[in-house]
Amino acid sequence: MGLLLEIVDLEKRFELHILNEKEIDALHQVSFNVNEGEVLALTGNSGSGKSTLMKCIYRTYLATSGRMIYRDGQGAVIDLASATEHEVLRIRRTEMTYCSQFLQVIPRVPAIDVVASGLVARGRTIEEARRATSVCFERLSLPAELWDAYPSVFSGGEQQRVNIARAMISRPRFLLVDEPTASLDITTKDAVIDMLLELKQAGTSIILISHDEHTLRRMSDRSLHLENGRLKEAVVYA
Amino acid sequence: MNNNWLLRVRNLTKIYGEATPGVLERTGPKFDTNICSKTGAVVAVNNISFDLYPGEVLGVVGESGSGKSTLVQMLYFDQEVTAGEVNFKPVEEGNVNLFELSNQKKRYIRNHLMGMVYQNPRDGLNFRFTSGGNIAEKLLMANVFHVGKIRIRGADLLTKTEVPIQRMDESPARFSGGMQQRVQIAKAIANKPPLLLLDEVTSGLDVSVQAKVLDLIRGLQQDLGVSMIVVSHDLGVIRMLTDRTMVLKHGQIVEQGLTDQILQDPQHGYTQLLVSSLL
Repeated sequence: MGLLLEIVDLEKRFELHILNEKEIDALHQVSFNVNEGEVLALTGNSGSGKSTLMKCIYRTYLATSGRMIYRDGQGAVIDLASATEHEVLRIRRTEMTYCSQFLQVIPRVPAIDVVASGLVARGRTIEEARRATSVCFERLSLPAELWDAYPSVFSGGEQQRVNIARAMISRPRFLLVDEPTASLDITTKDAVIDMLLELKQAGTSIILISHDEHTLRRMSDRSLHLENGRLKEAVVYA
Repeated sequence: MNNNWLLRVRNLTKIYGEATPGVLERTGPKFDTNICSKTGAVVAVNNISFDLYPGEVLGVVGESGSGKSTLVQMLYFDQEVTAGEVNFKPVEEGNVNLFELSNQKKRYIRNHLMGMVYQNPRDGLNFRFTSGGNIAEKLLMANVFHVGKIRIRGADLLTKTEVPIQRMDESPARFSGGMQQRVQIAKAIANKPPLLLLDEVTSGLDVSVQAKVLDLIRGLQQDLGVSMIVVSHDLGVIRMLTDRTMVLKHGQIVEQGLTDQILQDPQHGYTQLLVSSLL
């Protein structure tokens, strides 16, 4: 198994200029590797820095210092901490997707198109993309009458399914998922886990944030525990 | 791969008043003013450089007077530049500075290769012409002379921008603000330009109309794959339309990054203030 991502001494500090230069230390000297094809779980209490770490990798947050060496599908090596915005956009468009904890979507776009647009951006026709999305929604038991409605009016669990579908639909090479099963019942939870595991079988590397024992037990190959922004010892499930 | 740009802007500068040495260094966010302390010259745009890629949507955000409108107006040749270079791939493979071209060549670029939508529809439309006539004007400038073809294309564009074609022969003066803006957009895309400049296009429209105009722009961007520079003081507009964002203050870029990063992890104090001011 090759190395996908190598994180070295990652630090994240928020400097709040409008609050008298208040500083919030979020991540300290975080170093770890992600192997190709594995599910790496991040665990830890709320506020321990899991989502911050994930957002740093996706570049929604800018790392204060450190390196995040990523090997892309063509074998090129880029440091996600210092890559240009165009390089990050390219990686996001071609191989890295992120499922945030809460769905954030462009208003007035029907659920089916929120998800289908991920495939259209990768060169599929809108019809093909909607067909693939329908299959995905069916597996996630999202009621068909919601497909052409706007997700902003959905329940938490419905939104979360749209969110996870959007991240999975393009079968990314590298997937970041933040609490994918948090607001779901056990059957739907298992459907999500099955689909994520299928991606993994097909070669997708996954970083998973979860508090849910069931999800962790079924999915993770390895886990890292965060405490106040620092990494603690790893636990191996299986 | 760094040669993949559509538009390359280098050290673009606009000074109203005397361009004395050191004027650029005496203004900007560091001094909290764009007025030179020595000469009183106003530096509207101060040394701005960026690349725009094909199909990319770049946001330019900042408060009134930050220089964002001046920036796009210079790109569209509405305003003279004081200094700087702009290269544009469709023009001589990008090997020439657009500002050194003849006026005739600049006019060609405006008419064939760029579209502009202004905040005030009166700047982009001629209210003495009908809405169809306004589009015809743009097509004529790009050497489409067949009346029947112009008519069909005009109707086509107005349909695309959801202006009822029954009203094609009326002056936009009789239209609502949102509809005027849609006529302006139809005109701007009439010649299928690779670059579209949008200057505060939804400011002054009420929210439901604003939403419709934004949806239209988003749809057009996806269908046509056109590159856009979107100028707005409204972070909601920026969030909805753009991939990347530059934050301007007193004529300078204080911060630039991926739009989600600018909104969720703003670095500069001014951007933090903007984001925290979001409703």
